[in-house]
Amino acid sequence: MKNYLILVVEDDPPIQHLITTTLKSRDYSFLTAATGEAAIMETASNNPDIILLDLGLPDLDGIEVISRIRSWSNVPIIVLSARSEDSDKIDALDAGADDYLTKPFSVEELLARLRVVQRRLTLMQAENNQPLYENGQLQIDYALRCVKICGEEIRLTPIEYKLLCLLAKNTGKVLTHKYIIQNVWGNPLETDVASLRVFMTTLRRKLEKGSSDIRYIQTHVGIGYQMIRV
Amino acid sequence: MKSGKSAQKEHILVCLSSAPSNEHVIRTAARLAKALKAAFTALYVETQDYSVASSENKKRLQQHRLLAERLGAKCEVIYGEDIAYQIAEYARFSEVTRIILGQSRKNRISVFSSPTLEDRLLSYMPDAEIHILPDKDKKNKTYLPRKTLPFTGKGLFLNIFWSLLILLLATLISSCFYQLHFTNANIIMVYILGVLLTSIATSHQIYSLVSSIASVFIFNYLFTVPRFTLNAYETGYPVTFIVMFLTAYITGTFAIRYKEQARQSATIARRYKILLDTSQLLAKASGNQGILNLTAQQIIKLLQRNLVIYTCEDQTLSSPVLFPAEPRKSFPYNQEKEEKVIHWVLANNHLAGASTAHFPDADFLYLSIRVNDRVYGILGIEGTDFPLDSSEYSILLSILGECALALDSEKNARDKEAAAVLAEREQLRATLLRSISHDLRTPLTSISGHASNLLRQGDCFDQKTRQHMLQDIYDDSLWLIELVENLLYATRIEDGRMILNTSTELLSDIIAEAVRHMKPKAEHHQLSFQEEDDFIFVNADTRMILQVLINIIDNALKYTPVGSKIHISSRSVGDMAEICIADNGPGISGAEKEHIFEKFYSGNHSIADNRRSIGLGLFLCKSIVEAHGGTITVADNTPSGAVFSFTLPIKDLSPCQLTAT
Repeated sequence: MKNYLILVVEDDPPIQHLITTTLKSRDYSFLTAATGEAAIMETASNNPDIILLDLGLPDLDGIEVISRIRSWSNVPIIVLSARSEDSDKIDALDAGADDYLTKPFSVEELLARLRVVQRRLTLMQAENNQPLYENGQLQIDYALRCVKICGEEIRLTPIEYKLLCLLAKNTGKVLTHKYIIQNVWGNPLETDVASLRVFMTTLRRKLEKGSSDIRYIQTHVGIGYQMIRV
Repeated sequence: MKSGKSAQKEHILVCLSSAPSNEHVIRTAARLAKALKAAFTALYVETQDYSVASSENKKRLQQHRLLAERLGAKCEVIYGEDIAYQIAEYARFSEVTRIILGQSRKNRISVFSSPTLEDRLLSYMPDAEIHILPDKDKKNKTYLPRKTLPFTGKGLFLNIFWSLLILLLATLISSCFYQLHFTNANIIMVYILGVLLTSIATSHQIYSLVSSIASVFIFNYLFTVPRFTLNAYETGYPVTFIVMFLTAYITGTFAIRYKEQARQSATIARRYKILLDTSQLLAKASGNQGILNLTAQQIIKLLQRNLVIYTCEDQTLSSPVLFPAEPRKSFPYNQEKEEKVIHWVLANNHLAGASTAHFPDADFLYLSIRVNDRVYGILGIEGTDFPLDSSEYSILLSILGECALALDSEKNARDKEAAAVLAEREQLRATLLRSISHDLRTPLTSISGHASNLLRQGDCFDQKTRQHMLQDIYDDSLWLIELVENLLYATRIEDGRMILNTSTELLSDIIAEAVRHMKPKAEHHQLSFQEEDDFIFVNADTRMILQVLINIIDNALKYTPVGSKIHISSRSVGDMAEICIADNGPGISGAEKEHIFEKFYSGNHSIADNRRSIGLGLFLCKSIVEAHGGTITVADNTPSGAVFSFTLPIKDLSPCQLTAT
């Protein structure tokens, strides 16, 4: 397994220590930064594989750090937020973050998110130009516009297909409602979040008909949706 | 003593009348009052002539009254026949120092002219200073109050009918007496009685006057010798005729006067009764709407006119409420037309509208219902052809005053209540904080204690003990995390209400998230979720509903033994979604069920895992669910265990949004 380099951006020393200790115990290598500027500098000079970014930094707004890094790099960013309100997370995801964690989080959860990102990284390159997508029992043939569950073809409406493809191409990444609406419908006025939910539910029903326990699409209440690799 | 007078405060009295020159008199009196810094009163003596005065005169009188009020006078109305006497009495009682009158008529010194008002007044009050203002209008024409003629009106035919009928009856009875050879005296008495009855039955003096003249002639014609001629031979007859006429006339006049006074007394009594009733009823009335309804009813009883009331709160007016004079018979009301008048009244705290100097072409007369400067509402009275008379007006003002006071005390009561609620809420907060601070100390002591031990003497303990201490630290910190979550939600209770951040969500999404969140903690239990109805959307604050679910599931985990099943289900019941969390643990006793949702209630349990509880969890659940418009209940599960159910209103998404393209 490749030794991933993780940049931990966190100004609170105990939390930083907690995260680095956890990473060390799992054989990740890491870098630390305590301010936004330092984080950007480290990203530029050392090119980490994953960034763990705390939103409550003393000098820069976390959102700004994300947008600045995103201007030249696609490095996966997981944000850590202390506030339970959704608006911070939605803003961070819209700015380009991939996933989020709310404090207090358990270290198990942190490690799980890291694994999700890792899987995406290893498969992303290979997948992007493949005509075929596979995830558990789900198969999408982009060329033939055909979706199969457990080998059986399922009928999807054009919107549902678009939704599924968007999620599949971003497997492991949390997509906000706004992002999905913009990419599937184009014009945010044409639909609203409530309708999106209805479409998503029907899509899920169709996907999970054959396999009852497996959930491909994860709902993040109030934030958006995420396709997970089963 | 004249010298004593200069020491006391001057009090100026002006007499109101409907004469055109009265306006000048009022203005002069006002100027004098202002110059002398005196108390200023305007007095009107209402005689029986008022009821028969023409509407033009009535209007003029009303205008004079308003003018006097505007110039700072206190207006009073007194009832009586002898104007001079009434004025004198009032002046005596109220310590009036100067009386201002207008010249009643051009002085004509003649034996036959009756004494003028001034003369009479002087005779009653020789010490009074009476100022008489000459009539600026130099014409010799004297002003006599024009009375409505009795020859108009529907009463005319009825009056004539009664007069004739009584005369006829009198004549018939007299003929009988004549046949029975009774003396003339008896016949004269019958006619006098007839005139008396006529004056009672008819509504104007003139009928008894004509009847008395007619009686004389009929008596002469029919019953004096020679019969059936208008000659009378006996020497005494002219005197008889004169005396008969005078008696008839005088009794008639008095009868009419008496009748009129009785009628006036009745009217006054009725009006005052309305005022008394208003006071009594207002004492029992509650609520602003109740008070205003009552006031409107009473005013309708008093005036028999259509009313409209605007309520005013913090200088903003509500929409008008119409009160028709006849129940269930509504009347047209042009709100836009009246807007200007109403806002003027509100701004200037003075009456305006029909029959006043301000906005006289409005349909209604508007008065403000106020206590000092606080305006509680505006009353509109439909102005018809005739303006309000003085006594009606006085009573109206009294009723409005009472109404305003009642509204004022309602407002005070409400303010007091609000202050009490605020105080209670502050106390609740203080109690909460105290209780929490207290409860925080224990786990914190445990955490810091264990950690300190491990730091200093870590090696002294064996692996098992160390593990146990670390587990305790972990458990306590988890407990603190849960507490903080609940506290954060508790702070969202403001004004006794929860501030909700709602969005439309799929119910199964919310429940799935809760289950996912609790799964790690539910390692030793079997947590499952089944939804019975698809596609239930709710309008909810998702974080809060999540907290409700987490709290209930957490309780189930805490209070049931290892291996218990916890099952969550959801379904729609009518227009509400019902979510049930059922466990098969020991259940909750009947007594506990009653208190379980109360603040700071934590049950006594004999289960080994005796976690301390701050007792907020279920109380918070109840607050959140109720803030969403739902209800939360607990019941027994069969064969054992408890079922917590709560409902949320379903959000109905309109079909047009759901067309899948």
